[in-house]
Amino acid sequence: MKPVQLFCWHFMAYPYLNKDFDQKQYSGWVTVPNSLWDNHKARGLYQEYIDQLAYADELGFDGMVLNEHHQNIYGLMPSPNLIAAALTQRTTRGKIVILGNLLPLHMNPMRVAEEYAMLDQMSNGRLIAGFAPGGGPETFNYDVPSANTREKFWEAADLIVRSWTEDGPFAHEGRYFPLRYVNLWPKPLQKPFPPVWIPGSRSASTMAEVAKRGYCYFLSSRSHGGETHRAQQEFAAVLEKHGDRYHPFRFGILMSTYVAETDQRAREECEEGVWYFLKNCLKGHLRREGRQLTYGPGVPYIPAAAWREYLKGYTPGRKLLGDVENWDELDASQSIIVGSPETVTRRIQSLIEKAKVGNLLIQFQLGNMPDHLARKSMKLFAAKVAPVLREESVKVFDKQFAGVDLEPAVEAVH
Amino acid sequence: MNGRVLDVNQRKVWVLQNGSGAPLLYLHGFADVHGVKESWMPFHERLAERASVIAPAHPGCAQTDENNDIDTIDDVVFHYLEVLDALKLTEFDLVGSCVGGWIAAEIAARHPEKIRKLVLIGATGLFVEGALIGDVFMMAQPEYGSSYASLREMLFSGANQADALNMFPDGKGELDDELRRYQMLRFGSRIGFKPPYFYNRPLRNRLHRISSPALIIWGEKDSMVPRTHGETYVRLLPNAQPLKIIDGAGHSVHAEQPETTAKIVLDFLAG
Repeated sequence: MKPVQLFCWHFMAYPYLNKDFDQKQYSGWVTVPNSLWDNHKARGLYQEYIDQLAYADELGFDGMVLNEHHQNIYGLMPSPNLIAAALTQRTTRGKIVILGNLLPLHMNPMRVAEEYAMLDQMSNGRLIAGFAPGGGPETFNYDVPSANTREKFWEAADLIVRSWTEDGPFAHEGRYFPLRYVNLWPKPLQKPFPPVWIPGSRSASTMAEVAKRGYCYFLSSRSHGGETHRAQQEFAAVLEKHGDRYHPFRFGILMSTYVAETDQRAREECEEGVWYFLKNCLKGHLRREGRQLTYGPGVPYIPAAAWREYLKGYTPGRKLLGDVENWDELDASQSIIVGSPETVTRRIQSLIEKAKVGNLLIQFQLGNMPDHLARKSMKLFAAKVAPVLREESVKVFDKQFAGVDLEPAVEAVH
Repeated sequence: MNGRVLDVNQRKVWVLQNGSGAPLLYLHGFADVHGVKESWMPFHERLAERASVIAPAHPGCAQTDENNDIDTIDDVVFHYLEVLDALKLTEFDLVGSCVGGWIAAEIAARHPEKIRKLVLIGATGLFVEGALIGDVFMMAQPEYGSSYASLREMLFSGANQADALNMFPDGKGELDDELRRYQMLRFGSRIGFKPPYFYNRPLRNRLHRISSPALIIWGEKDSMVPRTHGETYVRLLPNAQPLKIIDGAGHSVHAEQPETTAKIVLDFLAG
């Protein structure tokens, strides 16, 4: 079995908020006033962030991860494809993962099919194509009606993959995106098509749709307690039901880390960025303070029966990740793993072993963390943590998945 | 409560019916029967003292089947034409509140001959430049983990109004009420989210077809649909009474002041 795949995820937060942001502003999402944008300070910001991602490639990470957000301070990538295009010209080996384009926000899915095909060609077959439906905030950003979002999403995703694999021109007789001439130029480089990753938050229907199509499931939760392990078990069970078998590379998780020479130094160095991230970037998304846009009856995208199930397990006012009040609580959430190389290795190893997960999508730069610290942590991780994780994960996976064949890796045609 | 399931073109439609007299079709809004409540509220009970009140639940609301083919208000209107066929209603009084008022106006604009008298209460449906209808969807996202104060404030005269607290409590309410609220928002999102919010631009140029007597009722403190929408309905409906303002009430006048509102409606229908 191959070793755990380690990716560097960058969200590209807006890092120049004043210290009183949380006190003064109601939200970091959708309605956060863009008068806070400071052109003077922000000049060169994208360059700094792109350089960090290129650095990840130099350090030997297996890939770089981007995603799409609108109108917020959490992620300044309304179009991750633009950043991906820059990375095709700055990097040579790592995968470029876009997780993903928010399909219901695009008027025509062919635009995504075309841009992804371009990126696959421009990167010499390094694209991992993520499709996501978008969540609560994006519903408000682009006025996406909720009730048919999922149906629209899957129609778009299937049309894109069909346009990559089937010779055109053909007519798509769809419910939401009827098109007379589907005839993609260019085609993607990877055959039969670039790997497809789909994020989800443990909904059984998303898992089933992913399994049906043989895609990789990515758990979008930021905390990693027992739920991560349960998500893995649920997805494995769904795969079995579809006559397929789970292996670690069918599954991915998002986590954050900061590594320094010692536990104490790690905490000291990252704490400002971590709290900036938790209190500012997550306000409106994963905080109960202000108005939380991500989940709620105002974005009614799941059927009523599923909402009934959700309500049964829902505790109003429960703490979300951004509501943690102190370092110990944060530590217990297993969302941001901070420490010496030994500490971080041990904790991630245990996560890999428990969650049987082969794709770790790791956020290094958090909130307003300065460039030199993000790079230092990435470098230390690459030098001291990654080699051990790779070596040990092979042993763990070999033991856990003895006899399970990975499907043949999708290779670029050169 | 006399509820029954109506078979409409192979879809189930949940209908409540009460009282006797001339038929009155009631189309519900958010703070309303089917929108939250399983059964009649005092407003509807007053109406039923003098009319045969028929209140179907919108597609996807209460026990009415959801219909994934509903994308626009036109699809809703067609759904209701089929409901009218199934109910064998050819001429009737039509009363609608909030989104139900919008649907009522759309039905009346297409089939004025079916409508004896029309009553719109805090109706959405119109595009009035500079006076956008409030964003009930964002207000329905909880604040501080569990507060629906701003939703109550939008739908009622104040966040602490008694009916508001009863129908939209903080935290987790009674599961069935929660579910009906959710279903109503889900139905609303199909027709009222794009464009923002709850209007159909061409409607205002179609209102001239509605020749039946019309009464437009508005809460003095409506925070969801600006009063100028009510004034516009009055101006564009050829046979409308002057705008009737209910003092002290918010958007959901029928919930906040059932007696006053029902009396005004019944007097108008009897006159």
